[in-house]
Formats: sequence, C-alpha cells, structure tokens
Amino acid sequence: MAEHAVATVGEIREGKRKIVQIGKISIGVFNIKGEFFAIKNICPHKGAPLCKGSVQGMYVCGDNLDDVRLINEGEILRCPWHGWEFDIKSGKSIIDPNRYYVKNYEVTVDTDQPADAQVETFPTSIREKNVIVHV
Amino acid sequence: MAEIGKPNKLNGIIDCDVHPIPRKLEELHAYLPSRWHKHYVSFSRPFYNHPHHVLRLDALPEKGGAPGSDPDFLREQLINQFGIDYAILLPIPNITMWPNPTMAADLARAYNQWLADKWLDNNNFDGRFKGSITVAPQDPQAAVREIEHWASHPHMVQVLTDSGSDMNYGHKQFHPIYEACEHFGLPFAIHPTSEGLGINSPASPGYPTTYFEWSTSLTFSVQAHLVSFISEGVFERFPGLKVALVEGGSSWLAPLLWRLDEGWRGLRNEVPWVKKRPSEYVRENVRVTSQPLHSPENKEHLLQIFDMMNAKEVMMYASDYPHWDFDSPIRTFPKMDKDLKNRIFYENAKEFYKLP
Repeated sequence: MAEHAVATVGEIREGKRKIVQIGKISIGVFNIKGEFFAIKNICPHKGAPLCKGSVQGMYVCGDNLDDVRLINEGEILRCPWHGWEFDIKSGKSIIDPNRYYVKNYEVTVDTDQPADAQVETFPTSIREKNVIVHV
Repeated sequence: MAEIGKPNKLNGIIDCDVHPIPRKLEELHAYLPSRWHKHYVSFSRPFYNHPHHVLRLDALPEKGGAPGSDPDFLREQLINQFGIDYAILLPIPNITMWPNPTMAADLARAYNQWLADKWLDNNNFDGRFKGSITVAPQDPQAAVREIEHWASHPHMVQVLTDSGSDMNYGHKQFHPIYEACEHFGLPFAIHPTSEGLGINSPASPGYPTTYFEWSTSLTFSVQAHLVSFISEGVFERFPGLKVALVEGGSSWLAPLLWRLDEGWRGLRNEVPWVKKRPSEYVRENVRVTSQPLHSPENKEHLLQIFDMMNAKEVMMYASDYPHWDFDSPIRTFPKMDKDLKNRIFYENAKEFYKLP
C-alpha cells in the first residue's frame, strides 16, 4: 500500500471529480458532500472510462410501485457508455452488486504536503490539505 | 389416464392449445343478446383468411359441423388417438377487434356460457376438457366481473384474450384484469388472432398483404406484449400473476430476454419498478406454448434453442388442433431426454394450470 497525493482538497469541489493516473492505473477521485472516494476508471462491463460518467442519484420505488423516489443524490456514477449505475462509495453496481463492481481505494486527507508534481495547480497563498489515495 | 398412443412412456400429455368452435352461428347466438346478432354474423375474418383451409380437412366431424365443433369427434381424433390427459380449450372469438366495448363484453360472456354448456359441464364425463374464460379488454370492469363469475368453475383454468390489440397489455388500464387473475389464481393467456382487424393495430408497422405475411407476423405482437408486461412492472405489481403466451412462437424468447436484460442494466433508472432482470420474471411468471414448432434442417439446432430459452421450465406442449398447422405430439419434436420431454409435454402445464 503506497500513499499518493493526487490533489489539494480545494481542487475537487463537492460533486466534482478528478481522474488521476497512479502508475498504470487510472483512478477517479470524487468529492461527495466533502468526503473523498476513489474508484478504478474502468467499467467492468465493456471497459469504458467509467469515471467520466455522470454523477447523479437513482430512482427507486417505495412500497407502492407508483411512488418513485430519487435517492442517493450525488453518490451514483452512471457509466458514459451503457449507463450502468455504480455506487461511488463502494464501487458496487446497483443492478448486481456482487457480480459487477469496480475496485475502490482508501482515501484520506493529509496535511501540508505539496500536491503530486503531475497535477497542475495554480499558485495560491493558502497552503491546502492534500487528498491522498492509497493504492 | 389413457395410455393409447402416448409417445415414449410419457407421464402424460397436456395439450395447451385446442380450439373448439360453435357448430354454427345460431349455436352461439343463443347465448348472445339479440341486439348483437346482426353484427356478429360470421366466424371468419373480413380479410387475412387462409387461402386453402385454416382447419384440418380431415377434422370435419362425421355428423357435420366445422372442425372443432363436435366434442365426441374431437375426443376421438385428438384425445383418444394420442392419449391426451387434458385439452386446454381456447375459443377464438376475435373479441378485441370490436369497437363497441359493451358488445365485446357480451360476446365474451356468450362464449363462456357456450363453452361451459357444450364442452365443460356436458360432454366432459372424464374432466379432460379444461376451459378458458374469455374476456374483452375493451371493458376491463366487465372483464373482472366475468372472471369473478367463472373463477370457481371446476373446469375453467385460465383467462383468455386475443393478442391483437390497440394497446400493449402492460398498460395500467388492464391492471384490474390481472389483479383478478392473481386473486383467483388463474393464468392470463393471450392468443394471436385479430391483429390488424377492426380497431386493432397490425402486429407490424403496416398492414400485411397476405395470410402468409399476416400469420408469420403475429409473433411480433406477442413479443411486444411481453416486453410491455415486463417494462410496466406488471409482474412486480402482481407477483402471483402467471401469463401464457399461446401460439406466439418461442424461438425468439432467448434473444429477446438477452436484449431485455442488457437494456435493463443501463436503463433500470427509468423503470425502477422493474426490480429484477427481465429474464427472472419470465422464468417465474411466463410460459410459452410449443406450437408452431420450427423444423430446422438440423434438429440439433432446435435442442440448442430449447436450452437457451430454458424450455425445460417455460415451454408447454400445444397441438393447435384442429388448425392446419397442427403439431402432432409424436411427429413434431426432436429426440429429447426423458426429463425435458416430460416437462414440456406434461409437468410444466400440470403445475401451471394446477391440474389434478
């Protein structure tokens, strides 16, 4: 397990993501309501760049099937190709979580380290915390 | 039960598509309010009639009347000859094509009374004839009353309507019918017949030209209804509802389900009431009848299709007696292992129709 600083905290705003390369692995780092999550950028279905998909909620039914509700807003990633839904927090698909899932990685927020050199940042007077992905 | 002619020591044979017909128009008119007599003037279609004979020429009863109109003769030619344990009777009233819902509902009632009278309550000493409660979807409330009226009849085993329609059957307006079917434990069967006639859409984008084209296309409407049942969440709303797709073919089932399953994986969000893979609903709630069974050059191909579509669980034998494209129980199927054969010819239908 190695730690990789991939961005500053302010760089990935709430609801946004950053796709980073760590060695040979492309990873999407997502900010959901101030918390960071990282999953592999490959859809298990047909290999699409999953993390380029849209981040939304998902519709489910209550006990009454006509009672359609939007849940988990901002936590569901929809693949840019075929639209399969994945829970960003776990990497598991909604349709068949035990059969279709993507690897997820531990993310922590560290202090006062410069961001990884490959990340282009703009000079700023405030030193920010870094987002660390553990691979 | 009879052993005569039973192929390869089967446990039994249940024929899931047998067509009784009134001996003549007057026989049915006796059960139909007189105000409709001038409208219901023929059993034949205004067009798409078969160019030669839609009914087997050798099925003409000795005592006269049309093929399928004489219970004794049918018993002799079908039941006794092949050792059929149960014949599921489906009249073909062309009910869904009529623009007047009241007339359609009365026509359904007339067919039900006629069927009970001529085939189920009488001429049925051994209980081998099992009937279908015909309903007119044009008037769902009347259809529900019809189901309620006949549900307790000992020989009525399913609810029936034409697959010819002007609307896909998953729509909410039909749900009261399915609710009643589920409540009484009666499967809902659809059978092709009135596509493109009266108020019904054709099964294809436009109107077929010939009987050849029309009859080949009927399978499309059956498939469309199945897709509608699934995508409208009918089996999620009525988990106990069973549906029989009769004479709509079956070889299309596997690829259609592959496509539905694949589509659902990406589009589930649009139909959140579809909570399982479409193929799972089919396995639990839907059965298809075998006739008309294909005859590929390579019989092995048929067995492969059976395997793909899970015929072992979802297919039920049907002959379509007395129609021209009759599938004989002893000359139609390729060699199959005993278990598969028994499931198709007997066990699946016995379970589906809860037959003793």
